[in-house]
Amino acid sequence: MDTYQYHRPTSLAEALEARRQEPEARWLAGGTDLMVQLRSGRAGTPPALISLRHVPELKGIEDGERLRIGAAVTLGKLALNETVGQRFPALLEAIAAVGSRQIRNVATLAGNLCNASPGADTAQALLVYGASLEVSGTDGQREIALEDFFTGPGATKLQSGELVSAILLPNPPSHARATFRRKARVAMDIATVSVAAYVEIENGCITKVRASAGSVAPTPLRLTAVEELLMGQAPSQELLQSIKTLASESVSPITDIRASEGYRRRLTGVLLQRSFEALFDMQTAKGCAR
Amino acid sequence: MIDLQFELNGRGVTARVKPHARLLDMLRDVLGETGTKEGCGEGECGACTVLVDGLAINACLFPAAEAEGTKVTTIEGLTQGGAPLSPVQDAYLQNGGAQCGFCSPGMVMATVALLGETPDPSDTEIQEALRGNLCRCTGYVQIVQSVRAAAETINKGGINA
Repeated sequence: MDTYQYHRPTSLAEALEARRQEPEARWLAGGTDLMVQLRSGRAGTPPALISLRHVPELKGIEDGERLRIGAAVTLGKLALNETVGQRFPALLEAIAAVGSRQIRNVATLAGNLCNASPGADTAQALLVYGASLEVSGTDGQREIALEDFFTGPGATKLQSGELVSAILLPNPPSHARATFRRKARVAMDIATVSVAAYVEIENGCITKVRASAGSVAPTPLRLTAVEELLMGQAPSQELLQSIKTLASESVSPITDIRASEGYRRRLTGVLLQRSFEALFDMQTAKGCAR
Repeated sequence: MIDLQFELNGRGVTARVKPHARLLDMLRDVLGETGTKEGCGEGECGACTVLVDGLAINACLFPAAEAEGTKVTTIEGLTQGGAPLSPVQDAYLQNGGAQCGFCSPGMVMATVALLGETPDPSDTEIQEALRGNLCRCTGYVQIVQSVRAAAETINKGGINA
């Protein structure tokens, strides 16, 4: 691991300016991915790290039309937040899957997303909740829908000098239900497969649905085919069977050290089926319009 | 070099370190507190667990510069100046929670953090809370027993971990 300078800006403007002056410097939030990558050489030899841990604009959880989670809020802090727990339970489930307490006490949502592993646990939950990212640069601010953010393994639409300053979550209606599931080999492990499901059911019909899967494609994936299948339908055993089949066909996993392609395909279908089963009330279909 | 000021085990300290130093390096090599161990250097094994402002973190991933203005507690901080072992350390000793002892400082610090938040954890909660700490010797059974015993002692005596 080489040497680097260490900056501790105390405002967003100061942070962005520091990066503008040193374009090869790296942002540091929790550091639980970056510090490992610096040690292994995967992150190259940046001249400096710019810590985001003391930038007040990045440290709040603000309620409003959307919930705004600052980029420097730790997973540990989020896990204790009542609003998050009540409104976004699948996000809480995903956070609980990340690493260990030691990791979650410093790691951040923004860091998990910007590291852009296809298996990033929080990405699957955030995708089904329709999250957007507030991106800040010296030119100003813009917003990117999370489903458009990832471009490949470890790659995002962030331009040089930009950072994710907040995660924005639209507030779900009270009857919305969501869940996150994953399968890993041991406790401290990257997911072999992870899925998230979100559904709103009114009068026995699905009026809104989102599904996502991780570690089964080059990026966290929104399963639009499964969503189209479910939209407007009534929950049933047949529908659950169809979810299992279609989900398996909708992903493009690889064979790697953790699992084979075939196992991952099968697992995606099973996990998603079980997720929706948990979310459905098995009511008698009341003739949904389709 | 950068100069840092923070509180270590209840006393104010200053340290001069390279900007890229990790908290682990500062503790062991600059401040001579070698109780905290480096197991993997990647945040996977937890042998380097210390508390920063009461939160358990992996010192191998924590930049030394981020310790500025914080309260750091290491394994050495659990017993000061010839005092008898703290309840958690004593429980590990009495219940076979340590064999080679390499994971023990980190395991004990993670336990202190857990009991500070959850005074009476179930076995499941103990296993979940300590999943970031690996042990190659004990098979974890005696570790869980040690944590349970520590919780009992602390709760009975109304003392701190």
